[in-house]
Amino acid sequence: MMQRINRTIFNPYLLTIAILVVAPLLFSTYIQTVITRFLIFGLFALGYNLAFGYTGLLSLGHAAFFGAGGYTVAVLKLRYSSDLFWIGAPLGIVVATLIALVFGFVALRVSGVYFLLVTFALGQLLFSVAWNVKWLNSPGMQGISGLSLPSLGFGFNLGTTSFYYLVLLIFVICFFVLYHVVHSPFGRALAGIREGETRMQSLGYNTWLYKYLAFVISGIFAGVAGVLFGYYNYLISPTHLGVGTSFLPMVMTIIGGIGTLSGPVIGAALLIFVEHFASILTPDRWPLILGGMFVLAIMFTREGIGVYLWKLWNRVSNRYGSAHR
Amino acid sequence: MGLQTRTSLRRQEKASIWKGYLRMEQLVINLLNGISYGMVLFLIASGMSVVMGAMNITNLAHGVLYMIGGYVGWTVAVKFGASFWIGALAGGLAAGLVGMGIERGFLRFLYKQGNEQVLLTFGFVYILTNLSLWIWGGWPRMPFTAEFLSGSFGIMGRVYPKARMANIVIGSFMAVLLWWLQDRTRVGAMVRAGMDNKEMAMGLGINLERVFALVFFFASFIAGVAGVLGAQLMGVYNALGLDVLLLALIVIIVGGVGSVQGALLGGLLIGVIDAFGRALFPKFAMFTMYFTMIVILLVRPSGLLGRRV
Repeated sequence: MMQRINRTIFNPYLLTIAILVVAPLLFSTYIQTVITRFLIFGLFALGYNLAFGYTGLLSLGHAAFFGAGGYTVAVLKLRYSSDLFWIGAPLGIVVATLIALVFGFVALRVSGVYFLLVTFALGQLLFSVAWNVKWLNSPGMQGISGLSLPSLGFGFNLGTTSFYYLVLLIFVICFFVLYHVVHSPFGRALAGIREGETRMQSLGYNTWLYKYLAFVISGIFAGVAGVLFGYYNYLISPTHLGVGTSFLPMVMTIIGGIGTLSGPVIGAALLIFVEHFASILTPDRWPLILGGMFVLAIMFTREGIGVYLWKLWNRVSNRYGSAHR
Repeated sequence: MGLQTRTSLRRQEKASIWKGYLRMEQLVINLLNGISYGMVLFLIASGMSVVMGAMNITNLAHGVLYMIGGYVGWTVAVKFGASFWIGALAGGLAAGLVGMGIERGFLRFLYKQGNEQVLLTFGFVYILTNLSLWIWGGWPRMPFTAEFLSGSFGIMGRVYPKARMANIVIGSFMAVLLWWLQDRTRVGAMVRAGMDNKEMAMGLGINLERVFALVFFFASFIAGVAGVLGAQLMGVYNALGLDVLLLALIVIIVGGVGSVQGALLGGLLIGVIDAFGRALFPKFAMFTMYFTMIVILLVRPSGLLGRRV
């Protein structure tokens, strides 16, 4: 009985959620925005990992879906003067999904490194579109400015803290959904494809379809993150559709650990944390630091920091949580 | 002229533009523009393509090597006043050395981990781009060219820049040189053998590791020289790393991986399509390239002259 209670209290997921829930009571609104940013990008990386870590699809163009979600919200504000969450969010997700459906189809004509190149090119294509099409830009600049936190209708505008809770709620829901996707037969098939596609084919799986679905689903999550980003950031620009933004979930995933669900989230936390300090101390050298972290992570960490943290956690909870080894 | 509405005036303008392009000189000018640009694309893409085919390394930092070549070439040729060709050589050497550093210092240890290698090169894009920003600053360098290459000469009653013509000449020369290296020398044969079957080639006593290191250096060198040559058309600026990478990728996707011929065909095709696209649909200039890439992907994913994907 004692063992079971201790195990539940020590459950890392619940602990983290508990910490995040009480955080606004302890920290200033500024810190809350930093944590919100972490949650948004954590969600982006989480979805990305479904394609990258679980299916082995290396994509350098995921910002296309992220930015699509954000741009939908932004265009809604710019051209239709609406920041209603109940319109922006579903619409943004639909747009991101459509783009993922099309891009996935074109990109999955090839595999391996070619796939990476094609996703990169398609992401840049969307960047070009956002740069050139006037309708997608605020007058006199690149991108759309003047974005704001969403309203829930009837004049109920969200503030920093209430938006924080909204993002946290969406993040938890998505994590929950993704957890079940990964532990379902579908998820296991994806892992099988990553380990050996021909083997899966010989077992009768339509691997193309599984890869396509995994890609589209990861694009949908990226779109959700993008929608939230569109509300969070006061401006959205073509860079949010380009490779600079596509690179971020990849770094987060590699640093945090490819094979686990929480790895990308841990990587996201680390990255946002370091970025925050870099923006204060050496804003010009942030890309250098980012690249350096990335190169070090690839050269020296075998499984990512996330896995080390999990192992540490297991050792600690075994010591204090229960009697059996 | 009488009363004419705006739309009918615009229609007349458009009609005369199209009629203009049916005239021989305009066609030839555009064709030459396309070919000169295509030659630069070929030089950029050929190094990357051969490394991809031979060593299975997708060097995403190839564009940055091009940029470093351009920056170093600018420093030597413009800032220090040396001759343009010394600048090109210096640019090539700088790029070659940086490339070799990446390969010997990092990529070598990730042998057999294809994904990690690619990602590593992308990390270097960030590092090298930011370092270049630190060293040379963010201002773009204006197109610079050799003394005897500046100015233009007449062709079919119009003037045409000598620099562009030089690109075509140099590019063709390089194409022949690279083709000769690939198909007619022992080294080339060793590289091709390594591409087809690594174990067999090594079993025949070929020191593939040294051959590949040489190939990587040479590919980076060409990228650097291309950076100086291309600087005549595009100048040098900090975002070149990714811009050029994108161009190289499109050329490789269209032309196919692993061969000089593929890079040449892809480069010329994209260059010409881009030139005519700019002339005929100026608003959609960028998209002609993407369009071509998507068509090739849907119809022949392995590229026009590539091995089967």
